[in-house]
Amino acid sequence: MNRSLATRLSRLAQYGFLGLLFAFIATPMLVIVVFSFDANRFPTIPWGGFSLEWHRAILDDPMIRDAFLNSIKVGFGTAVLSTALGFAAAYIDFRYRFRLKLPFVLLVAVPPAVPATILGMAMLAFLSRIGLFGRLETVMACHVAIATSFSMAIIRLRLNDLSRDLEPAAWNLGASPAAALVHVVLPFCKPALIASFFLSAAVSFDEFLIAWFVGGVHETLPVRILNLLQGQVNPKINAIGAVVLVVSIALVLIAQRFTGVRAGRRPSPDPGE
Amino acid sequence: MTAASVTTRASASRRWFRLPRPRIAGSSGVLPSLLGIPVVLWQAVFFAAPLIFLVVVTFWQVKSFRLEPAFVVDNWTRILFSATFQRALVHTFLVAGTTTVLAVAIAFPAAYTIAFRLGARARDLAVAFLVVPVFSSYMLRIYAWQIVLSPEGITNALLGGIGIGPLPLLGGAFSLQVGLLTLTLPIAVLILVFAMAGIDRTLIEAAENLGCRRARVIAHVIIPSLRPAIALTATTSFLLAFGDYISPLFMTGSKPPTLSILIVDTVKSGSQWPRASVIGVSMLVMLALVLSLGQYLSRGRTGRKEAAR
Repeated sequence: MNRSLATRLSRLAQYGFLGLLFAFIATPMLVIVVFSFDANRFPTIPWGGFSLEWHRAILDDPMIRDAFLNSIKVGFGTAVLSTALGFAAAYIDFRYRFRLKLPFVLLVAVPPAVPATILGMAMLAFLSRIGLFGRLETVMACHVAIATSFSMAIIRLRLNDLSRDLEPAAWNLGASPAAALVHVVLPFCKPALIASFFLSAAVSFDEFLIAWFVGGVHETLPVRILNLLQGQVNPKINAIGAVVLVVSIALVLIAQRFTGVRAGRRPSPDPGE
Repeated sequence: MTAASVTTRASASRRWFRLPRPRIAGSSGVLPSLLGIPVVLWQAVFFAAPLIFLVVVTFWQVKSFRLEPAFVVDNWTRILFSATFQRALVHTFLVAGTTTVLAVAIAFPAAYTIAFRLGARARDLAVAFLVVPVFSSYMLRIYAWQIVLSPEGITNALLGGIGIGPLPLLGGAFSLQVGLLTLTLPIAVLILVFAMAGIDRTLIEAAENLGCRRARVIAHVIIPSLRPAIALTATTSFLLAFGDYISPLFMTGSKPPTLSILIVDTVKSGSQWPRASVIGVSMLVMLALVLSLGQYLSRGRTGRKEAAR
């Protein structure tokens, strides 16, 4: 009796702790969304009443519109390119063995681990010397260098589930390696490719330091927000923030939907997991 | 492409993993090269070359606001011996170290509850909920904390309602840690959840059958088998907190400056690229040292144990 009470209390404490942690993580996102509909200029309690004023205001702001378009262009380009490069890297890691494999994998995997301040500064210093500074394409190229790491990880994880014998079977039936790649491996990786597409778009859509360093006058949406934040209090920020938040959460959720990565998928068929 | 297909078709009946070399060498290397070279080129130009150039620039000079090739160590000595850099270095280390300890201490029980106490559905939802903030709008969430913690902000408005005067929540060590934990906690919990989900359940059941209470199971079964994951969580948290620019900027107003703030300030003021690069390269060296320490800690104990047996 005593024991079960203690257990119940301990469970309660555990769930309570988890609830607090989730509240800590959710609070900032909720604050942004809730106060974007606030009629007050300064976000505080009491709430100034429901208003779409600031959402309308961002539609009328040409700089924000341009930044949003830039973000979409950069995000789309990043999504396509890093998914393609990530697939190539993951397939090479899956299929081939060669002496410089570890450096190869590290070259793709490491970029997100380098602090963006340092990477942004390094990219600016180098790319401006070879005449690539201040272009939207450069922002995209730099985002690809980072996002490919995530693409490779997602696709490599999917390739783990591809039977090692499937491709050799296709070769035996007369398919060239390229044909087997296109007709066997690519279709198998389709969910991971979709996930990688949306996740890379989210990574690019969220990145601001590198875009800030190498973009010059071409601002992406997060860079616009960063510049707004460093100015005066601007009630538009919450409205843009809510839009950005919804877009990036949607991208991540779609990506998640296709990864099929779950913690402790215990009743899996292979006992090795 | 056809040349490659003809030659590989001949060798296709052989099992590829027995013969790794012929596949990559010779004419069958066309497909891997076709796939690999764009990746290598892209990462070389947009990742490796900038970092290498960063190291090179540390030896260059700035003359009348222009960067000029040279070979001087003046930048290194000036930065490494400057009091500003040393203060920022100590401050950044302390801040990132605190975040690391807090992140692991908070993430561990949370991950434990998710991995061992929640049902499969709830666990998937929790993981989905944690993945979202890893990839979305960190800067906005810091701005939201500003709203919550500022002197006229939400918390103080609520506290004022029950008669507690405005607290200076924003602009100190507390708000800085709030910001850095916003950055690190989701990923810290995720790493630990995935690691705990991978623990061999039979070990836990065996310990329980032998009469271990939960606390002993955690101390003697779960934590030892999680050692690499805990080291990974700690190094990841440290890495994120050490290099972060947004939390120090918005939660403390850059006072005192961290190394990231110092980099941006050094670039802005008089385009002192070489000196900013010195700070950047030093940060990378220190991060590499911390990562290898993490590697050592995650492996060291098991190695020692095996040696003792």
